[in-house]
Amino acid sequence: MESKNQPMLQAIDLSKRYEDGHLALDNLNLTVETGQVYAMLGGNGAGKTTAINLFLNFIEPTTGQAVVDGIVTHEEPLKAKERIAYVSENVMLYPNFTALQNVDFFVKLGGKTKYTKEDYRKVLLRVGLQEEAHDRRLKGFSKGMRQKCGIAIAILKDAKAILLDEPTSGLDPKAAFEFIHLLNTLREEGKAILMSTHDIFRAKEVADIVGIMNLGKLVMQRTKDELVGEDLEKLYVEFMAGYMDEVA
Amino acid sequence: MLRLLIEKELRDIIGSTKFTTTFAVCAILILLAFYVGARNYQVSMNEFEAARSENLRQMEELTNWNEVDHRIFLEPQPLAALVSGISNDIGRTVDVETRGELSSENSRFNEDPIFAVFRFLDLQFIFTVVLSLFAILFGFDAINGEKERGTLRLSFANSVPRDKYILGKLVGSFLALVIPLLLAVLVGFLLLVVMGIPMDGGLWARLGLIVLSGLMYFGVFLTLSVFISTLTEHSSTSFLLLLVAWIFAVLIIPRTAVLLSGRAVDVPSMDQINYEKATLENELWDQDRKQMSEFWRSNPPSENESREESMARFRRFMSELADAREEEQQKLAEQLNENRRNREFVQQKLALNIARVSPTASFALASSDLAGTSLELKQRFVESANLYQQTYATFVNEKTGGMGGGWWSRMNSDEEADPIDPYELPVYEYVEPETSEFINGALPDMALLMVFNLLFFAGAFVRFLKYDVR
Amino acid sequence: MFSVLFEKELKSIFLSPKFVATFGVCSLLILLSVFVGIQEYKNEVDQYNTAVQLSEQQMMGESSWWGIENVVFRKPSVMQVFVSGVNNDIGRSAEISTWVEPKLENSNYSSDTLFAVFRFVDLTFIFQVVLSLFAILFTYDAINGERERGTLKLALSNAVPRAQYVLAKFAGSWVGLTVPLIIPLLVAMLMVMIFGIPMDGGDWARVLTLIGSSILYFTFFIAFGLLVSAFTKRSAVSFLVLLVAWVCLVLIVPRAATMTAGQIAPVTSVAELESQKDRFRTDRWRAYGMQRSKLWEERRTAMEGMTEQERNDYMAANRQAWDEEEATARDATMDEMNEHSRKLDEELRNEKMAQEKLAFTLSRFSPASAYKLTAMNLADTGTSLKNEYEDAMKDYRTTFTQFVETKREEDRRANRGRRGPGSNANDDEPLDLAELPRFDAPKQTYKEAVEPTIIDLGILSVFSVLAFAGAFLSFIRYDVR
Repeated sequence: MESKNQPMLQAIDLSKRYEDGHLALDNLNLTVETGQVYAMLGGNGAGKTTAINLFLNFIEPTTGQAVVDGIVTHEEPLKAKERIAYVSENVMLYPNFTALQNVDFFVKLGGKTKYTKEDYRKVLLRVGLQEEAHDRRLKGFSKGMRQKCGIAIAILKDAKAILLDEPTSGLDPKAAFEFIHLLNTLREEGKAILMSTHDIFRAKEVADIVGIMNLGKLVMQRTKDELVGEDLEKLYVEFMAGYMDEVA
Repeated sequence: MLRLLIEKELRDIIGSTKFTTTFAVCAILILLAFYVGARNYQVSMNEFEAARSENLRQMEELTNWNEVDHRIFLEPQPLAALVSGISNDIGRTVDVETRGELSSENSRFNEDPIFAVFRFLDLQFIFTVVLSLFAILFGFDAINGEKERGTLRLSFANSVPRDKYILGKLVGSFLALVIPLLLAVLVGFLLLVVMGIPMDGGLWARLGLIVLSGLMYFGVFLTLSVFISTLTEHSSTSFLLLLVAWIFAVLIIPRTAVLLSGRAVDVPSMDQINYEKATLENELWDQDRKQMSEFWRSNPPSENESREESMARFRRFMSELADAREEEQQKLAEQLNENRRNREFVQQKLALNIARVSPTASFALASSDLAGTSLELKQRFVESANLYQQTYATFVNEKTGGMGGGWWSRMNSDEEADPIDPYELPVYEYVEPETSEFINGALPDMALLMVFNLLFFAGAFVRFLKYDVR
Repeated sequence: MFSVLFEKELKSIFLSPKFVATFGVCSLLILLSVFVGIQEYKNEVDQYNTAVQLSEQQMMGESSWWGIENVVFRKPSVMQVFVSGVNNDIGRSAEISTWVEPKLENSNYSSDTLFAVFRFVDLTFIFQVVLSLFAILFTYDAINGERERGTLKLALSNAVPRAQYVLAKFAGSWVGLTVPLIIPLLVAMLMVMIFGIPMDGGDWARVLTLIGSSILYFTFFIAFGLLVSAFTKRSAVSFLVLLVAWVCLVLIVPRAATMTAGQIAPVTSVAELESQKDRFRTDRWRAYGMQRSKLWEERRTAMEGMTEQERNDYMAANRQAWDEEEATARDATMDEMNEHSRKLDEELRNEKMAQEKLAFTLSRFSPASAYKLTAMNLADTGTSLKNEYEDAMKDYRTTFTQFVETKREEDRRANRGRRGPGSNANDDEPLDLAELPRFDAPKQTYKEAVEPTIIDLGILSVFSVLAFAGAFLSFIRYDVR
């Protein structure tokens, strides 16, 4: 698939059934191309995090494939992960390390060893972490400050694809607003972004494609254009309810 | 309200997997300690009986009471098997002579050093080491853990008085942990009965008090843990602090106290004392030897004296010399021993008083006092052996007609005689002091444990009233 | 990649306040234990020297070779500074006399009971109990703690091979925890030198081997902590599991093993042994008595019908032959009795060895006992110390008795006709002890000390490797979510 808009992230018939029989993800198909933001909406236990875990090969798919830049993740996980940056929900990081030390470690793990401290500081400032916090230990950090460090790490890794698991949880409104701005910049830089969120408004604001998930299934998928003029919130509730009816 | 809080505490502890595992381990260990103690007692009792009858049997062949090699043995005590104290370190056997100083030999650890390598698993050990750790494990996050989980804020969003909360916490966790332990201990008691360990009322009372002081010791660590958890923000910090405190209290302070007092108070070594005794003995012997060789010159046998009579005169003379020598030796020995004992006493007192900074030392002392295996055991055994020596000496003198001991009388008893009946020997019995004496000895340490309890309790209480629940 | 992970591991250890506190405590304890060991050693050397001197003076005070009594002492060994073993439990001195077998008596703990109450802390104890606990304290959340903090997911979202991750984890914790220990240990060694403890090359080699095995033991607990943390999801669980395991391995298994061995393989009691010896002795003497009366019966028959004069002549002529005949029979009886009691003693010793072997084999399920046995073997303060000394003392007794016998013979010749005690020619002059054979304390060579430790070191290595392999395999399949 050597097209210009090559799918960077792709889930093909992706299913995950756990040992206890619970079907966490049911035949997911989605595609995120470079320069696209894909937002997965859904309640708790909808399968959003499972999908992201499959892309990271934290779990093996029962059937189907998660493909990153043409690489099937469960076949060549290390190669696939070179192309992914990841921001997890509510990461604690190392409490005894300073923000810079944390960033330094994870960025180096990402294979980027050429950065200087100044580069780290610049990015930390860009995601909204005050200068005075850079050399403080993470122990006293609030959830939002830790989240900002996590985002900085993802940016510094400079990967082609970015996976975001509830990135705005814990961020104050101002920081959330700045984060959306940041996502737009990243999109313009040509990243493929897959994010899971509870936040319908932000999703509508930033996403090129919105998918609604429930009980492991992708129950609705609309592009930004298709959503123009639609009330996403209403859609969300309708789909959830409709789906519930179907199940019942 | 208090009842609700206590109930919650009980449910919280007893319902946790942490409790199930640790309680299972502790219960098994307690039962093991009782079982092993009872077995040990039975085995050492058999050995004791065998040794005693073997000693008497060996005498059956003898014809002269002066040739008797009489040994007395320290009878194993049932409680010593549960709280071994120093009972394995001191000599259990005394060779009784009609005169001279007695010393105890053959300590268990000297005989079977293999048991000294890892020592025994007794009830005292379980309490001092395992149960104290157990207490810490359940108390370390009593307050700051609730804070970390947010349950503290939630509780105080209601109109709960703080004093009731902390009281409920302390009482609840104490009950939740102690009642199951007591059950295990009761099964252990039952084990003693089933295995036929001869326990009388006094022994049961002492054992009961041992368990009580064990629970008090457990309480010290529990209240200390809750106290520390009110002093710290994070449960990980409080655990680390408690672990360090535990290492110091259980492992370091008692030992260091002994070493410090060993430095501070000089006790003359046994070798030194033995040397002084032996020197005196040699001197006296030299003097007496001269007198002996001159005996016939200065007291020639008179004409009308038969050989028998003159020999008897000489023997009497020898006996007198021996008595005089004996007396002087004994005087020195007593003086030296008393001096050593006094110094030792000062050293012990200092050591134990320093050690009492740690509740572990208090508990160890209280329980070994109650079990009769404290430092006084050695003293008591030697004293009772000395007492027996007098009875024994009188008995032998009666039998031999006051001829005293030693080679001299043996040399003159060539003629065939009837074998003696060793079963006429007065029976030695190690009689333990009154129960009340043991209890009185243990009271100060038990009081100290109580003080530790109250202190930490008060500390936790006061701290919590001002605790930042956010 | 490895170096990044390794570096982070080191940093996270050194930066934690936990580390500062525990490192302080450990250093303090190591130094304290060695300091105390040195002081105790010096004390014991003083005591030993005085005791030897006093015993010699006492012998010199004797005026004849007849009444001589010799007491020999166990020599303190420098290694007890680090490993006290059963040094304080077994006797320090033994009486050497013609009449009885030497037996070590008067242990430190039996004469100074105060010290028995809480016992001593030596370097081995610090490692066995305290440092193993601290190793757990640092590794119990090595894997599951990272999972709980979310850092594991974040780290593994990069192209990091899991094998490298867990290897770096182990190497980092190992270096981070072990290397700082070297500092107090070096200071301790320095202390040993400054206090002038006489260590020879062999002793240094033993100390180094001891430190090596201590670190191996420590390594096991690091790997074990890693293993449990890679097997569990929550750090609270792994901590509890580790604490219970620690209590069992360090405190319970060794004790339970010896006691089980005591039950399974009981040893003949001293009373039983004495009874057997005594019965045999009585039997022999009776047989000897019968033999003697039979001889006299024969002689009487031979002399029947002789006149008084003839009989006296006959007796005078045969007296020496008869005496010799009786002496031979008596010696044979004595030899037989000695042989029998030697055999019984040997049997008892074998029984004890069998018991010991069983106890140690059982206890080796715990690395703590494997470590302690290694340390005791290296320092030669283990259970075999008593046998070693008693054997050496038996040999010495033979030499000593022979020497005294010759001296007595010389005396007898010098005062022919007079017998018995107190009949020395020059009564009041002290004895000349210059020729008296000395007792040489048995000393193991380094090789002899190391050989029996090989099995225990092997066990420790196997335990460590197994623990690490388990941690490794478990982590490869660890659910990082």
